[in-house]
Amino acid sequence: MTLLQSLSVGAPEVVLAAGICVLLLVGAFRGDRALEGLSWASVLLLALAAVPLFDQAPGRLAAWNGLYVADAFSRHLKLLVFLGSAAAILVAVPYLRRLATARFEYPLLVLLATLGMAIMVSAQNLLSLYVGLELMSLSAYVLAAFHRDESRSSEAGLKYFALGALASGLMLYGASLVYGFAGSTSFADIAKAFVAGEVRNLGALFGLVFLLAALAFKVSAVPFHMWTPDVYEGAPTPVVAFFATAPKVAAMGLMLRLLYEAFGGMKADWQQIVLVMSIASMLLGSVAAIAQTSMKRLLAYSAIANIGFALIGLAAGTAAGVEAVLLYLLVYLVMTLGAFVALLMLVDADGRQLEDLADLAGLARTRPGIASALAIFMFSLAGIPPMFGFMPKLAVFSAAVEAGLWPLAVLGVLASVVAAYYYLRVVKIMFIDPPAGVVVLPGEQGVNPAVVGAAAAFSSPLGYLLLGPLAAWGAEAARALA
Amino acid sequence: MTLFLPLLVLLPFLGLPLLLVVDRLGRRAVAVAAGATMLAGLGLLAALAPPVLAGDALVLWRPWLPDWGLDLSFRLDGLGLLFTLLIYGIGALIVLYAFYYMPADDRLTRFLMTLLAFAGGMLGVVLAENLLLMLLFWEVTSLTSFLLIAYKSKYHDSRIAARMALAVTGGGGLALLAGILLLGHIAGSFELSVILDRGDLIRQHRLYAPMLVLVLLGAFTKSAQVPFHFWLPNAMAAPTPVSAYLHSATMVKAGVFLLGRLYPALAGTELWFLLVTGTGAVTLLLGAYLALLKHDFKGLLAYSTISHLGLITLLFGLDTPTSAVAAVFHIINHAVFKASLFMVAGVIDIQCGTRDMRRINGLMKYMPVTATLGIVAAGAMAGVPFLNGFLSKEMFFAETVAYPSFGGYGTFVLPAIATVAGILSVGYSARFVHDVFFNGEPVDLPKTPAPPPRFMRLPMEVLVAIVVIVGVAPQLSVGWLLETASAAVLAGKAPPIKLAVWHGFNLPLVMSIVALGGGIFYYWRRDRVFTLHERYALDFSSPVAFERAYNGATAWARAALARLDARTLAQYAGLFLGLAILVGALAWLTSPAESSGAPLAGPLPLTPVDPVSAGAFLVLVLGVAGATWFVAERLLAILFMSVAGLVVSLAFIRFAAPDLALTQLSVELATIMLMLLALRFLPQTGPAERGRKARVATGSVAVGAGLGAAALAFAMLTRPFETISGYHIENAKPLAGGTNVVNVILVDFRGFDTLGEIAVLAMAALGTHAALRGARLRAFVRDAASAADRYPIMLRMLMQPMLPLALAVAVYIFLRGHNLPGGGFIAGLIAAIAYVLQYMAGGIAFASARIRLDFVLLLGVGLLVAALTGVASMVLGFPFLKSAWTYVKAAPLDDIGLASSLVFDTGIFLVVVASVLLVLTELGRLHVVEPALRPAGRAGPEPSPARAPAEAEG
Repeated sequence: MTLLQSLSVGAPEVVLAAGICVLLLVGAFRGDRALEGLSWASVLLLALAAVPLFDQAPGRLAAWNGLYVADAFSRHLKLLVFLGSAAAILVAVPYLRRLATARFEYPLLVLLATLGMAIMVSAQNLLSLYVGLELMSLSAYVLAAFHRDESRSSEAGLKYFALGALASGLMLYGASLVYGFAGSTSFADIAKAFVAGEVRNLGALFGLVFLLAALAFKVSAVPFHMWTPDVYEGAPTPVVAFFATAPKVAAMGLMLRLLYEAFGGMKADWQQIVLVMSIASMLLGSVAAIAQTSMKRLLAYSAIANIGFALIGLAAGTAAGVEAVLLYLLVYLVMTLGAFVALLMLVDADGRQLEDLADLAGLARTRPGIASALAIFMFSLAGIPPMFGFMPKLAVFSAAVEAGLWPLAVLGVLASVVAAYYYLRVVKIMFIDPPAGVVVLPGEQGVNPAVVGAAAAFSSPLGYLLLGPLAAWGAEAARALA
Repeated sequence: MTLFLPLLVLLPFLGLPLLLVVDRLGRRAVAVAAGATMLAGLGLLAALAPPVLAGDALVLWRPWLPDWGLDLSFRLDGLGLLFTLLIYGIGALIVLYAFYYMPADDRLTRFLMTLLAFAGGMLGVVLAENLLLMLLFWEVTSLTSFLLIAYKSKYHDSRIAARMALAVTGGGGLALLAGILLLGHIAGSFELSVILDRGDLIRQHRLYAPMLVLVLLGAFTKSAQVPFHFWLPNAMAAPTPVSAYLHSATMVKAGVFLLGRLYPALAGTELWFLLVTGTGAVTLLLGAYLALLKHDFKGLLAYSTISHLGLITLLFGLDTPTSAVAAVFHIINHAVFKASLFMVAGVIDIQCGTRDMRRINGLMKYMPVTATLGIVAAGAMAGVPFLNGFLSKEMFFAETVAYPSFGGYGTFVLPAIATVAGILSVGYSARFVHDVFFNGEPVDLPKTPAPPPRFMRLPMEVLVAIVVIVGVAPQLSVGWLLETASAAVLAGKAPPIKLAVWHGFNLPLVMSIVALGGGIFYYWRRDRVFTLHERYALDFSSPVAFERAYNGATAWARAALARLDARTLAQYAGLFLGLAILVGALAWLTSPAESSGAPLAGPLPLTPVDPVSAGAFLVLVLGVAGATWFVAERLLAILFMSVAGLVVSLAFIRFAAPDLALTQLSVELATIMLMLLALRFLPQTGPAERGRKARVATGSVAVGAGLGAAALAFAMLTRPFETISGYHIENAKPLAGGTNVVNVILVDFRGFDTLGEIAVLAMAALGTHAALRGARLRAFVRDAASAADRYPIMLRMLMQPMLPLALAVAVYIFLRGHNLPGGGFIAGLIAAIAYVLQYMAGGIAFASARIRLDFVLLLGVGLLVAALTGVASMVLGFPFLKSAWTYVKAAPLDDIGLASSLVFDTGIFLVVVASVLLVLTELGRLHVVEPALRPAGRAGPEPSPARAPAEAEG
């Protein structure tokens, strides 16, 4: 395989990497004035990088000596990731301007993280997996502390970094154990080494456990979730909107690929672990969210709970389960993005960003549009039909029931009853409580109203219109996962 | 024909844009449009009805997402027909009524749109063939009813009530979802046609019980059965048309509809009887009892609705064919008389300005027609003969008498309950009639009552006419409807139905007479009931319980979280590591023993331990332990760390890897120096010690993590595995002409990687340079004693002659690197350290004046040299960075292996020197603001620096 072939198979990443270097130079010379131009250029670059996704021959294309693969699964996830990143870049511009932190690095850091994510979902080897994961994480640490003059933001970045480094260490431990016992870091060879039905290999089990723990950290599944609320609360809101969407999608995709392709033979082992993580995440996320007074912390716990629901599909261990997880990720990405952007649009009279639940009181009267959109997101996140958010929940639950895990499905539904409670609380505060203070819309909003509107339409029952093609698309991606 | 089936559901939704369009034409146009939509629905239903009345079920099935069991399929059978008729028929009347009821300044668009959306949801529930589709519409009704209850949102009551209704019915819907998923799993399909055929299979399945409980939870919350009944009376805060439509005729009937719908699949077991009949009986009695106690007449009607829903539930639970028929019949009758009663109540509410029955009296005089309508409807509610309520109540009594179970004295239980319920319902009906329409003059009303507008009365007149017609000629008027609906519920096994007013003198008739007489007596002595209730009833109602549960859950979650949610990095890290240890331990402990004999140690033999190694190992442990123990004393901690690093370097020597040892040693020195420099910007001591308990906890986590990592390393190292080092050792000499494998890997085998790495190193150095240049940091105040002796004279004198010596060593190490321990990287570090020592000994000003090197330029030159080596081999037609080598004999030196990689190594050397110096000198230059001196011996807590980048203790 020549370098040229590899370059053409990995075209999205190559385009992205080259483009980032160019944009970085532009930023270095033009300075922070270039923020808006760079943001649009970044989105253009993402679109450019997405072109090969539609252009590639179907089926599996390997590159770089099997370190990398382009298949329907990776193409599906990459498209989602690119979409999430592009949105995260654009919605941040007005915010950064307003708080006078308009630094040109923001879109570039998001792009770097996106490059890492693209590598992650295409990884066919523990090494390329690690490289992608670290590229994403390192950019994320910096982004968390992007508002560096504010102590909360710096603290969030530091905490994220310290704990993330621990998780990476854990992952390397796991990877080296797997390498030691399988004799290879390639997914295909690992799968050959650990065949189902053979005597369980303790070392491999250890390796798997540590790898899973590190990945659980990245998707913020209980019990490795603890960083999430603090980082969500401290990091700038557009950054959180980014954290909550694209990286979650990429990390879940990575988890799917790793478990199905490399550890398919050890399904019985990882199924149990995923099961426990799923139940714990759903329950803890739902219960803990009740007590929150900050909207961002609430959404953090909501993220934890939602990952728990998505893990139900993974725990099912069937093709239907994978399909359900993919749909879950897609819908979750849109709903969460919408919720955060809606939050981003609210500022009080002093220009302070509104982040507390109490600040939202009576929003329905002062800002009916945003309040209605937020209400749709809340209902949809709660998975209450007929909102579109119900569909992915239904998909994971039915996958679990089909796989014989009906207690898990019932537990999941009970957890969503608890979850419904705190989402409804937000709706109640917005629609029922008397207005708390002045809510002004800052003058410049950029694309934010459009993003919120589109996301709300998608999360509302209108989303069902897209269900057919989305499901077909997801099914194709799920089939690609061996 | 079936193709039009979805249209029956979609029609109200299609009406939504129509309402928006006619909004400009005023509220009358909006109401007409909404009413026309409802009537169009009735027309469509009439067109579709004939085959259904003939006994067929119309089913339209379109696959949508077959993988997930979700299909677009609709079904119109007898039961669906009955409910569709109620929804469209009463809906049309409600629109007319609402036009007069709602205040004239309300444009009605929003109200009627929500109402139409609700009607659409309700139609979806009753016409869906796929259970998942039904659930979707089920929650549409929950959401729209939330919006309708909260319609008068400026009133606190309606907001609370709306939230409560949504929480209860929405939550119940989710339970129903779980039940339906299980049901679909059991039956193998979500299609009703399939499920209804597989009743036996379902009832024998081991998941029957949990499934039934979950489904019933959904049905009972929606139909306001005890203990979920409390939301319904509060929902009376909604505008009266909403109460009349949702909370009597349609939405609350969705729960009993579900019972009827799934009757063939689920009924017929002991569990079904116990749950459904039991809940129904309790609801029947409690609702009827509480209804009398309400002074608000809408509250009275609400509790009466609860009671009647309990009655229907009870009938479904009895599980005989005739009881199901009675249940369906009562659904029809109750919808008709209760809707008209609510409409009457709405008129009174508007005309009197209050709903308190202690103040509203004697309205017969003020609005005789409306009053008569109300009295007739209330008679039906009480079960007065020749009105429709009498017939179904009579059937209910007959069922309780005929029910065979219990045996012995138990035979009387059901009839007794029925009779008591009858007495209670006559009692509250009597109160409604007597208090409101008679009983003297009104007391202190806000306004004088007047008859309602002519057309506002029309809907009531229509409904009351039905009440009377059905009551007098039941078989003629509704026999056909009841027959098809019952046939659908009983899946074709319906008994022949013969409705008649007079069944002869029998036990049910006696029960009716007792109920009527007893009820009037009960109402007559009502004051006594009120007193007793006030004296003994708990001051604890369900809404209060709901609020308490709501707030309690919040408080509980907050308290639980306060324990979990530590928020400090140290605690998070501890938690993280602790959990990792736990997970690892679990994986080890739960794995089966047969996987290998001794799981921890592998088959490889252990190397014997000699005393020196053991001693070194002890020193290593002590170093690490010391660094941990004295973590607050920063200087000490760093010194201990350097001890540990030193031992690691020695360990490499012990295992015959001098090249690695040298690398490790130089890296160790450079990093320690970096840390010492950073120390100047930190207080001498760290944050205050935490308590003993916390220290023990963190200590045990640390020890556990260390032991775990050691165990893993042990397990790995005692197992045989292939490495790639063999290949490198074998090929270093023949392929690259060197024997120092590390250096060969760096400059030859992995030359490309190294080029990348030095580029990264250069970038990091430049980044630090850019970030720190010009930064102003305040160093910490030090005491006078140390300040006086900043650059000890001995050190300064010693360091100056050291520089050329050290540089010579560096060159030597560099040159021999290809074959012996050494190389560009190590030489670079040595040279850099030599320079740094000059800075440390003489101070930054002293050294900068003498070392006139532009480190940035040096960095660039180094990178350029390294890159050009690669390009050169490309120019010569080889791959990038391909190396060539030869040996040169040069007296008085040894053989010098001259490889092209030496040039590349030069690049590495330059980059390393420049990077280290750039960073270290930049750090050394930092403190421009000189602090004032303080007297010696007082090293108390120091002021924090103005803006320290390394403020790590978050």
